[in-house]
Amino acid sequence: MDAFRIFIVEDDMLYGEMLRHHLALNPDNEVHLYNNGEECLKNLYREPSMVSLDYSLPDMSGLDVMRRIKKEHPEIPVIIVSGQEDISTAVTLLREGAYDYFVKDDDVKDRLWNVIKKIRENLQLRSEISYLKEEIGRKYEFRNVIKGNSPSIKQIFSLIEKSIKTNISVSITGETGTGKELVAKAIHYNSNRAKKPFVAVNVSAVPRELIESEMFGHEKGSFTGATTRKIGKFEQAIGGTIFLDEVAEMDLNMQTKLLRVIQERELTRVGGNDLIKIDVRLIVATNRILSDEVKKGNFREDLYYRLLGLPIELPPLRYRGNDIILLAKYFVDEFCQENKMKKLSITESAQQKLMKYHFPGNVRELRAIIELAAVLTDTDKVDESHISFNSVDAAGNLLMEENTLAEYTRQIITYYLQKYNNNVLLVAKKLDIGKSTIYRMIKEKQIIT
Amino acid sequence: MSTKLKSYHLDKLIAFVGDDPDAIKNMVGIFLHTTPELLETINESYKQKQPEQMAKAAHSLKPTLDVFGVDSVYDVIRKIEQKAKNATLDDELAGLINTLNGVLETVFEQLKKAFVN
Repeated sequence: MDAFRIFIVEDDMLYGEMLRHHLALNPDNEVHLYNNGEECLKNLYREPSMVSLDYSLPDMSGLDVMRRIKKEHPEIPVIIVSGQEDISTAVTLLREGAYDYFVKDDDVKDRLWNVIKKIRENLQLRSEISYLKEEIGRKYEFRNVIKGNSPSIKQIFSLIEKSIKTNISVSITGETGTGKELVAKAIHYNSNRAKKPFVAVNVSAVPRELIESEMFGHEKGSFTGATTRKIGKFEQAIGGTIFLDEVAEMDLNMQTKLLRVIQERELTRVGGNDLIKIDVRLIVATNRILSDEVKKGNFREDLYYRLLGLPIELPPLRYRGNDIILLAKYFVDEFCQENKMKKLSITESAQQKLMKYHFPGNVRELRAIIELAAVLTDTDKVDESHISFNSVDAAGNLLMEENTLAEYTRQIITYYLQKYNNNVLLVAKKLDIGKSTIYRMIKEKQIIT
Repeated sequence: MSTKLKSYHLDKLIAFVGDDPDAIKNMVGIFLHTTPELLETINESYKQKQPEQMAKAAHSLKPTLDVFGVDSVYDVIRKIEQKAKNATLDDELAGLINTLNGVLETVFEQLKKAFVN
């Protein structure tokens, strides 16, 4: 950490010297003493970490000096040390932004010491926060987050770029695991709201009866169990972005409330009366087709149009061609780096196996498959034997291996029989084949029921 | 007037700057330089009937006297400041200033003897 630069502004030579001497006992402090306000203001370019200011100075009052410091450098903490014991002066000073107010008495050095400690901790936290914010920004630089060269993903990049430039609401759709939340974060952290919060709410994960309080907060005592005031997600996101995941799961009652908040740009906490203005960017996501839900009467039409904004439809991984390999290589590198393993390559046969798979779990599934493969291999290569698919969607795997038509037929009929509880008549009807064909295959033990 | 007893103590000063003889000597030097000037201002402003100036000087003198442990004038300097603020330049004030002059004269002498040689 840089030296902690302290300005002491004190016309009492003795007191000034004492403070300087005392504070300089800590070698990390760089202490400058000025005898009047003007001197201090002239030296502000040195960017002090804090200013200890005597209230009564020969050339101007401490309040005036503080106002001028605050005007140019609102972030510099100003502490008033004074012989003044008048409470109203102290109150005025604190209201005008003084960090603290001490009377020159025996405790002054301990108080000063403590306040410096606090300011230093604060500074450290602030620098940590700004570092972390930058880190997050870099992390969500969207081309670092969303990888791919396929035309369908390039189209997504172009939509993200458009959404960054404005405050338009964004609705993201896509199958599970396609990266809807990542896209929402990429939009937020690349927009002019990046320094404000990104707040994500998974609508389906919040119990129905709690969702309103979760979103809009509640006042103490507004319902049984509301022992303290709670700030809702919308309020937490003021100035930033709120991301409502699985928005289609919201019940109609809550939809009405959400619509009102979006339209009025203000909310009331549950059990409260105050209207709270909210400036929040809205990004929603769902893996359902919202327009279908509107048709079915599960989703309010007016809310649908409010939320639609700029629609971004994320393509399933299976339609992204070579992106599968690109992502697989990226994930294997990342995994090795994180786990301090030597670099692994993916063999041609493993790549082919990946390309044939239909990835019902999309990118999330690919990542899991690759991480498992990286753990399973004993060499510096990931080959097809390390790639195992554990998809719950067995039928989708049908085309993975090249087979004869007879074998495909056998697999399909087996799958349907399992699905329909060995009801041959129903399966025959579903597949539009003769029931005798199925009976024959069972008899010949081509199919085991 | 007794000169055997010290009219000051440096406990607070030492607590502030630490047990560092050079630093203490430096502070005593500053005290001996600035305090007579403030005392002079108080005397002059009484003569010239300028209570504002007196109040300012008394206000500045207050913490200095606390630090140098001149405890016998703890109330005196506060009363002087208050009276000057209220522009009550009466005989009682004259008496208070007189006491202050007497005590501080002793303090100056004692400090010079102890530190300036």
